[in-house]
Amino acid sequence: MGMIELAVAKALASSAVFLFVTVLMMASAKRISACIILFGAQSAVMAAQVLAIAYARHSIEAYAVATLVIAVKVVAIPFALFRIVKELKAPQDVTASTTATQSVFIMAGLILLSFFAVAPYAKTLRVDEDMLAAAIALLLTGAFLMVSRKKALMQVIGLLVLENGIFLAALTTTFGMPLVIEIGIFFDLLMGVFLMGLFVFRIRDTFDHLDVSKLRRLRG
Amino acid sequence: MSLLVLLLIPSLGAMLVLGCKQPRHATRAALLIGALEVTAIVHAVWRIRSAGILQTGRYLRADGLTAFFLINIGFIFGLVLVYSVGYLHHIPAGRFSSPRWFYSLFFLFLFTMIAVYLSANLGMLWICVEATTLASALLVGFYNTEGAVEAGWKYLIVCTVGIAFALFGTIALYLAAVKSGVSPQSALDWDALMTAAPTFGPVRDLVKLSFVFVAVGYGTKIGFVPMHSWLPDAHAEAPSPVSALLSAVLLNCAMYALLRFDAITSRAIGSGFSHTLLLIFGGLSVTVAALLMIVQKDLKRLLAYSSIEHMGIVAIGVGLGGTLGLFAALLHAFNHSVAKTLMFFVAGDVRESFGTLRMKGIHGMARSLPWTSASLVLGSLAIVGMPPFGLFISEFMILTTAFNSSRYGIAILVLVSLSVVFGALLHHFQHMLGGKPGNAPTKLKLLPSEFAVMGICSVFLIVFGMRIPGVFANLVQRALAVLQ
Repeated sequence: MGMIELAVAKALASSAVFLFVTVLMMASAKRISACIILFGAQSAVMAAQVLAIAYARHSIEAYAVATLVIAVKVVAIPFALFRIVKELKAPQDVTASTTATQSVFIMAGLILLSFFAVAPYAKTLRVDEDMLAAAIALLLTGAFLMVSRKKALMQVIGLLVLENGIFLAALTTTFGMPLVIEIGIFFDLLMGVFLMGLFVFRIRDTFDHLDVSKLRRLRG
Repeated sequence: MSLLVLLLIPSLGAMLVLGCKQPRHATRAALLIGALEVTAIVHAVWRIRSAGILQTGRYLRADGLTAFFLINIGFIFGLVLVYSVGYLHHIPAGRFSSPRWFYSLFFLFLFTMIAVYLSANLGMLWICVEATTLASALLVGFYNTEGAVEAGWKYLIVCTVGIAFALFGTIALYLAAVKSGVSPQSALDWDALMTAAPTFGPVRDLVKLSFVFVAVGYGTKIGFVPMHSWLPDAHAEAPSPVSALLSAVLLNCAMYALLRFDAITSRAIGSGFSHTLLLIFGGLSVTVAALLMIVQKDLKRLLAYSSIEHMGIVAIGVGLGGTLGLFAALLHAFNHSVAKTLMFFVAGDVRESFGTLRMKGIHGMARSLPWTSASLVLGSLAIVGMPPFGLFISEFMILTTAFNSSRYGIAILVLVSLSVVFGALLHHFQHMLGGKPGNAPTKLKLLPSEFAVMGICSVFLIVFGMRIPGVFANLVQRALAVLQ
């Protein structure tokens, strides 16, 4: 392994720490806009990781993926979410069903759990344990945000975090999927956020609130 | 070239229909585009019959399995389009809810589903399955009522999360292929994966992990219990033609994706693991759906649970495996799609006539709406698996497979569930059909187009109950050859 590769590997491993920080901060965030900024920051960290890989492996494809991450996840989606928040003119708190302290503890537990979960795989696959754990932690965090936050927009953010986790898992284990597939996934993601935004407005217009835990007319 | 046409017609058609400001023009354009697309599908299937495999570029590919499902989607789609023409005239105008928006989204939905069938690459396949959710979410929320918006939101969120799991599973399989020496560029291609699958032995844990995630992910879209929560809501709140498409085509589309993964997994690590998982999901779906059908109050929710039950039976057929099991599963998927289309047409007619779908509020239908009632009786006899209808044959074959392979537990589970379903439907429908007409229906006669499509469905079900035409059996056999 050359010096550059080694340096990149070290940098990647330590950058996992930033991802854990964003996850923990999301757990304690009280406002939707804070969560959007954190999602942007999280995506920026991942973009930097893709760039590092692109540099080390001299891969044009990876540069293209990095550009996509920056364009879609760091700029377009947070921007679109901010616009939705502004247009909605609704209260901005996340209305969690757990307190901030509880959320942070649950999140820490999830991080610990993901380290245990990946330990056997990391050895056999010879990939970095911290990064793989970060990927699983993002996945779990996304799921946790979706079930514990009541606002419709927070479910969208939870889904995006979950998707970030899957992206990171692909990145650490296989250095990403073929470019065409990545582009397709990004396109789906963008369309998905667009549609969910549309539905958020519809929910507000038909129900006069955005609390999805109160949507329970359909049962059984 | 030929495969690209299948995708171009609906995508360009969607834009064209959107440009028609007059509802009358939009309807005509939709019918024309629909006829073109069905012709193109038949032509493509004909060419697959002679050529075996069609490939266009790197990412579009069609084989025997594709041909089988293409015929399915072409047939059902044609019927639903003709039915929609009569159904659509009463839709309240609003944003995204005029006929042109309906047809446009309809073609977009069709485009994504055909793209699923034509994907040569499992990554592409995932992208297209996710696109089907996005394309149909607006159709589910089409009426813009409280229920429709809630159902649309739930559908969008639950299916997107479910499908995200399938992406994780796809990545795990990709990783397994790359670790086994397949070049990263082609490690998601179906051909390359099927060729390399026998060498996946050293990474069998990864293959197992992949299949679990894929089964949960695409299983969400198929409506396996316990990931089915979106399905009854979406089916009940969507306009009836859309419910028919969701139940008859979309569920099969997701099942198709799972079948591809099942074939690769079976070839890589033996069929034991994946088939056991399918049997568990199938058994759970059949039992839970049958029990929930007893307590339903809304006709379309009842039909939705019946779809879950039937997809469970298909999964059991695949899980039992062997040529007969798979043959029966594919046949059942097709028969179910025709029967359920008929039932949703009936439901649409009931809604139009009585203005409600609550089964308690409807009495004396047999007298006031004789033809609709006849279709209802025929359709429900078909979906409970009575002879002489197509579903009897396929269910009988699945039960035979179960007994032959000494899986008595599964066989008894299916038999008991089928009896429960029979009882539930009898209980619900005798109230609706019999008795004195309470609330007078507002619409007494079927439109000729509605009459025609219901007739075609009924004739199909009876013919397939008598004997399976040779051409069709051949089509299924070619589909099986791809999977084994």
